[in-house]
Amino acid sequence: MAMSAPREFVDNLRQLPHTVKDAWFRQGRLPESEREESQATFHNFFLHIHSVRVHVRTLSPWLTFGLGLMATASFLILTITGVLLMVYYKPSTALAYESIKDIHFVVSTGRFIRNIHRWSAHLMVVAVFLHMARVFFTGSYKQPREFNWLIGLALFAVTLGLSFTGYLLPWDQLAYWAITIGSNIANSPRELTDALGITKWLDPGGFQKHLLLGANYVGEDALIRFYVLHVFVLPLVLVILVSVHFWRIRKDGGLARPEDPMGGPAEWGGARRPVFEPLATKTYGLMALVKGTRATVNRGPENTVMSWPNLLWAEMAVFMVTVAVALILSYYFDAPLKELANPAIPENPAKAPWYFLGLQELVSYSAFVGGMVIPLVVLMGLALIPFLDRQLGGEGVWFGTAGEKRVAALSCGFGLLVAVGMLAFTVNFGWLRNWFPSIHQLWIIAINPGSVLVVLYAGWSLLVLKQTNSVRLGAVALFTCFLISFCVLTYFASVHRGPNWQFYWWPSQWPVH
Amino acid sequence: MNNPSRLYRWMLLAASLVTIGYLVAAAVRENYLADWQTLQRAYRQQLQAKATDERGRELLKNFRIELKQVSVPALNTVDRCVSCHNGIDDPRMTDAPNPLRVHPGDIVKNHPVDRFGCTVCHHGQGPATNFHDAKADTNDVFWDYPLLRADLTQSSCLSCHDLERLPREQVALLREGMELYREKSCGSCHRIGGRGGSLSLALDNEGAKTRHELVMTNLQPPHTTPRWHLAHFSDPGGVIANTLMRNPTVTKRQALALTVYMLSLWQRDVPASYLSPDKIEEKARALHPAPLSGEQVYRQYCFGCHGDGTYGSWNKAFKRFIPAVRGPGLLAMATPEYLQTNIAKGRPGTQMPAWDAGGLQPAEVTAVVDYVRAAAPPPIPAGAPVARGDAKRGGVLFAQNCQGCHGMGGRAGMAPELANPTFQQAATDGFIVTTIQHGRTATAMPAFQNPAAPALTDAELGDLLAYIRSLGPQPAMQQARLERGQAGGTP
Repeated sequence: MAMSAPREFVDNLRQLPHTVKDAWFRQGRLPESEREESQATFHNFFLHIHSVRVHVRTLSPWLTFGLGLMATASFLILTITGVLLMVYYKPSTALAYESIKDIHFVVSTGRFIRNIHRWSAHLMVVAVFLHMARVFFTGSYKQPREFNWLIGLALFAVTLGLSFTGYLLPWDQLAYWAITIGSNIANSPRELTDALGITKWLDPGGFQKHLLLGANYVGEDALIRFYVLHVFVLPLVLVILVSVHFWRIRKDGGLARPEDPMGGPAEWGGARRPVFEPLATKTYGLMALVKGTRATVNRGPENTVMSWPNLLWAEMAVFMVTVAVALILSYYFDAPLKELANPAIPENPAKAPWYFLGLQELVSYSAFVGGMVIPLVVLMGLALIPFLDRQLGGEGVWFGTAGEKRVAALSCGFGLLVAVGMLAFTVNFGWLRNWFPSIHQLWIIAINPGSVLVVLYAGWSLLVLKQTNSVRLGAVALFTCFLISFCVLTYFASVHRGPNWQFYWWPSQWPVH
Repeated sequence: MNNPSRLYRWMLLAASLVTIGYLVAAAVRENYLADWQTLQRAYRQQLQAKATDERGRELLKNFRIELKQVSVPALNTVDRCVSCHNGIDDPRMTDAPNPLRVHPGDIVKNHPVDRFGCTVCHHGQGPATNFHDAKADTNDVFWDYPLLRADLTQSSCLSCHDLERLPREQVALLREGMELYREKSCGSCHRIGGRGGSLSLALDNEGAKTRHELVMTNLQPPHTTPRWHLAHFSDPGGVIANTLMRNPTVTKRQALALTVYMLSLWQRDVPASYLSPDKIEEKARALHPAPLSGEQVYRQYCFGCHGDGTYGSWNKAFKRFIPAVRGPGLLAMATPEYLQTNIAKGRPGTQMPAWDAGGLQPAEVTAVVDYVRAAAPPPIPAGAPVARGDAKRGGVLFAQNCQGCHGMGGRAGMAPELANPTFQQAATDGFIVTTIQHGRTATAMPAFQNPAAPALTDAELGDLLAYIRSLGPQPAMQQARLERGQAGGTP
């Protein structure tokens, strides 16, 4: 019996709260069976990037430390706080500094928001860096994950780019002089072309610098370029790359892990759990062909648990921990803001952001080698790892193959010794330019503490490779040396370099200008 | 196996509680506990207590607790000082506690807060909304111009006013500092407005300097420019190692006065509408300054090195002998033209600058020559002219008699440099001969033809003259020196 239209209208109106709620929460209640849990995952746009079930190893905090998620969480925080800052920030040399002062002093909780943005940026760089180390030492880049390792490297570069471009925006002394250094590093191929006397005809350095700054100096054009890169281009690239990165994780079979032994249905909480009960009212068909050596019909895949709610809890926990850490740091420590940029008064020492300080130490020996060659060599080397080390085994386990721990420990010692020794030698005795003042610059470009460091590390890695007869162990040796020298150089340049890049034991001994 | 998400649930709970806690704490700290809010609440009570008439009630009714600022686009300032100094232009607030009370004195009558703001006179960080950041006089606040102490604030007046037309008692320190600058003859080395020596920095924009432009190495923090100037005037060598600057020997008050004067030297870009008419007149006058008297010129620009000029002295920092320019020995022989050339052209290669480039007008050079010669003894009558002899023989005589003081080849030594181009140009043969014959009274230069015991014959005198003349710049030698200079890479 059909209702009359007015009746129906009134009735629908009365039902409105329920129908709207049902439209939003289609399940109507929290999922109770695993079938409903799986529907909750793949019926939701945001959740369906997860697989319905994940391996329990994925959830082990000691395998991943949640570092990748932490980086993603930092990026989310950065996006939100960044948009808030964009509302008040004015990207022009005349107004930028004032607008930061306004954000600091006038905008309600503006200082706090800016602090969160700054600290999350630090957290993101740290998380990305450690995430890379985690992936390497668990051998997770191996076949078939080579491509995702490359995407990860690109993300590493974009993360540093985002942080670096954000550095200029406050238009204070710190920003101005750090970017001046940065642009001079872009200019550093001139060191080589000048030494060869061909700058007049071939000037890639000048081109790079001009491309970066839009002028020959850090000014209005540079600011707007950095702004566009910082708030639009690089975030967009990052979002696309992150999406591919996540998607590849699914396509490559989840996080890398050793093969499970054949086993029965998943058990946890002391109880055997039926993993999949066919619904009587539904017919099931073949949905996909998957790789693998055995079928798991009517029996749960071994050692997996439902993504809803287990993975979600883990993700939310990591996200909130990241937020909490950023908030605590932001509550107590203000983001730096120096005097208004003044081209007439150089900051001394003008230091790059901390994650570039290791490079700046190398740049102090030779801008071209430290600022261009070595970063390129390192990136190339990292990119080649999964293609040169094709031996399978040990994936998803920290130091998974035989002898890795020993080699990592030895390389740690070797890397430390060489890096510290090289710095101590250079500080005490100087380098070629001090001994032979009129020596040709090409010699310095070829032989400087940075290039010597690279050669020694490469030699050590080859030695390990030959002695252990394992490419993986050679790679472990090189990567460990890279990590340790990054830490040593960053520490050294942060603490022990003062005005004019002179050595000091402590910043308190710096002469004040 | 335990529930794999158990750990994460606890983590989530803990992290969420921490997050909420800090968000609330930050919201309260930033929105309710800020100092300016507490102060404005106190100010409202002041307003309530004073709301006895129509206007008072009106002010109370309109008062809102909010950030307040004075924005002066013409001066490029945004000053939020009034967020705490609420009663700054309310004459009823004479008894209110600081920072709520009215601006002392009657200055704000002529300088309304809404037209001038605060930092144009007081400096400090205008955009800041708390006292620590607004003062900006500690090393942890990064702002170029920290708040000026009350007694230093008068240094800002000169940006818009002519010192002479300001009430004396309000700019007493500034006047004293300017007079001390003249009295201590700072102009001998320093230049202001194109007038002064070139031995040290020009001071035209000294007040605009930030702490990063001054050497703070030997100064205890906090490092501010006023503190630097105070310390530097008390002991220049203690602030800058190996400085050429002599200790000006000043009292604490004098150091303060000089500091105020230094801070006032600021070529500030102030819109004409903010300048007082007398400032515009002063600027016009400065283009054509009235010439100073000889005594004034000597006191301001010569005294710093030559002292009162009666005796010469050895200057350790210069590593050079400073001649007695008002000594009877020189004046008995030197012609006005000789002095004029030396002053106008200076002595290149020594610390004596060329004063025609140092901003002295020709009339002032003439005046100072007259002043120097005022106490001149009667000139020594020139003897029979001596002809130049053989420079080679003269060289031997020079080595025996002169080299000990005048140095090898007549360059550098304890006594004046005879090879100096200005000396060679300005000194006539007669002047050189007479000086050797009679020596210089009251200096170490003896007379070599003392009638009682003549040390040199006239012929020897001629040889010596020829040798001294050969020391001057020869065209060929100059050329060689230029080439050497270029080869060495120095311009």
